[in-house]
Amino acid sequence: MTLYLFYFLSFLAVLSALMVVVSKNPVHSVLYLIMTFFAIAGHYVLLNAQFLAAVHVIVYAGAIMVLFLYVIMMLNLNADTEPQKGKWLRVAATVAGGILMVVLVGALRSAADTLPVTAHDNQIGMIKNLGKVLYKDFMLPFEISSILFLVAMVGAVMLGKKEIK
Amino acid sequence: MTTLIVLSALGLVCLFSEILGFRKLLHPIVLIGLLASFVTNLMDWNNGAHLFNEMVVIDNYSVAFMGLMIGITFIWCLMSPDFFTEPSSETDHFALIVFALIGTMVMVTFANMIMLFLGIEILSIALYILAGSHKTKLSSNEAALKYFLMGSFATGFLLFGIALIYGATGSFNLAAISSMISEHHEQNSVMIVAGILMMMIALAFKVSAAPFHFWAPDVYQGAPTVITAFMSTVVKTAAFAAFYRLFIHTFSASPAIWAPTLMIISGLTILVGNITAVYQTNFKRMLAYSSISHAGYMVLAILAMNQSASSSLMFYATAYSISSITAFAILLLVSHQTGSDEIRSFNGLAKQNPFLSAVTLVAMLSLAGIPPTAGFFAKYYIFSAAIQNGYLGLVLIAILGSLIGVFYYFRIIIALFKSESEEKEIKVNTLFRVLLLVTSLAALALGIAPGMLAGLI
Repeated sequence: MTLYLFYFLSFLAVLSALMVVVSKNPVHSVLYLIMTFFAIAGHYVLLNAQFLAAVHVIVYAGAIMVLFLYVIMMLNLNADTEPQKGKWLRVAATVAGGILMVVLVGALRSAADTLPVTAHDNQIGMIKNLGKVLYKDFMLPFEISSILFLVAMVGAVMLGKKEIK
Repeated sequence: MTTLIVLSALGLVCLFSEILGFRKLLHPIVLIGLLASFVTNLMDWNNGAHLFNEMVVIDNYSVAFMGLMIGITFIWCLMSPDFFTEPSSETDHFALIVFALIGTMVMVTFANMIMLFLGIEILSIALYILAGSHKTKLSSNEAALKYFLMGSFATGFLLFGIALIYGATGSFNLAAISSMISEHHEQNSVMIVAGILMMMIALAFKVSAAPFHFWAPDVYQGAPTVITAFMSTVVKTAAFAAFYRLFIHTFSASPAIWAPTLMIISGLTILVGNITAVYQTNFKRMLAYSSISHAGYMVLAILAMNQSASSSLMFYATAYSISSITAFAILLLVSHQTGSDEIRSFNGLAKQNPFLSAVTLVAMLSLAGIPPTAGFFAKYYIFSAAIQNGYLGLVLIAILGSLIGVFYYFRIIIALFKSESEEKEIKVNTLFRVLLLVTSLAALALGIAPGMLAGLI
């Protein structure tokens, strides 16, 4: 059952990710991206990371994607304003991406001999355990990331501010 | 660790100064804060520690690099007062620079992949914004956007690499990853190989090594000159410190995976950087290509993988940063008063302003690597470290590259002595005079007595 679910979710994720790139209309791209995020959230649930799945749906599929849609609608982008890439650029990008995919598929095919999967604690993804890891083992990165957000915030304010003449 | 706290507090003080109304005092406060962090940093010398559950390692390597970067930032803050007197966003500029410095600090002390990622991101995001800080200028906007898009793409590679390595080893900790790699020395899983190569691509992008250097000239030219100076000194040093730390401390168990690729990257960077620099007529763009070629030499230190490699990298970063910041300070003066970044605007400088042309001479000689300046010994140490590890062919390419380099650095020197002098006289105020004198003397002192720094770490 889980295996079928895994294949279904993976198929959905890959297909909708492809559609994000392929579709001509930016609004459709964003909607497909939401689908991708939901499929990945499903994967998180399969991996016993329930909290992460919920946060992923709320933050990405909810907040960020809505922002995306608003920006696209405000700029009034549609299929016509989409810049047309040259044919050769497309061929080159496809070849480069394809080679990378071949390498990675090759890598993951022979990855069977890596670490044996340890038996999972099915509570591992709950907030309690996550919080313990976050505030004990990963205390410093957790705090440092606040600087990262501060930088982004200061930058957004700086770029958006009116010049004083 | 105190250094990190001092710098974070300094960044917050910068942000609060606007509300509390002491932003006129901010410049001296930042300078004092930088001095304080320099002192607290030095107190960690020979006093290493593993902190926060192996997230951070403070050792002499990190203290030396951190000291260098704080010192260069200090000089940089002195030489760019204009940038900090722009009324609408001076406090933001200060804060972003201090936060960028925190990012570099995380990048030299990391002992965990998460910390590496956070450090690179803090530094990069601050820089994306600073590159676009000249809001009304189109080239600055273009530089910021280009840097942001390409940088995010490279970050994607970094994260993918980290994820693959985590998948193969089950750990973010560098020591654990390193022991995993050396245990399975003979048959490393392909996942590790792919992960290492992807991280290498991301870091090569950050240090602007060929063939991942295409963003550098446009960004360096488009960004405000002071930011370019910061990018080509402090940021490059930090990126190399992180690159070296990651590859030597973690992936050194199996150099067969990455050394051949890195060798090609190094040779290509040296040749591409130097040869393209020859064709530039714009001084700023030429310095951008020169900084690409210097990245190639510094990659040699990573390949050398021996005892003397880390101190030779440190020496090179010091020599390069000092000469580069001198060159940018001169460019700042010249472009400010003649209104152009072209090499032309240096014509006839020797007659007008002997002092300025003398320091230009020292900076160019040092960048070209000609004795008695610091650049010569920097190249000497790196080349000898690389030869010890058997990279004779690569060193020959590097020497060829530096010969090409001499050509375009001397173009500036020749321009100085051209007789066709433009009327406008270039004035140097006392602050710049002292600053340029100090940096040039430092470049000369390191060239005459390299022992001061050579065996440090």
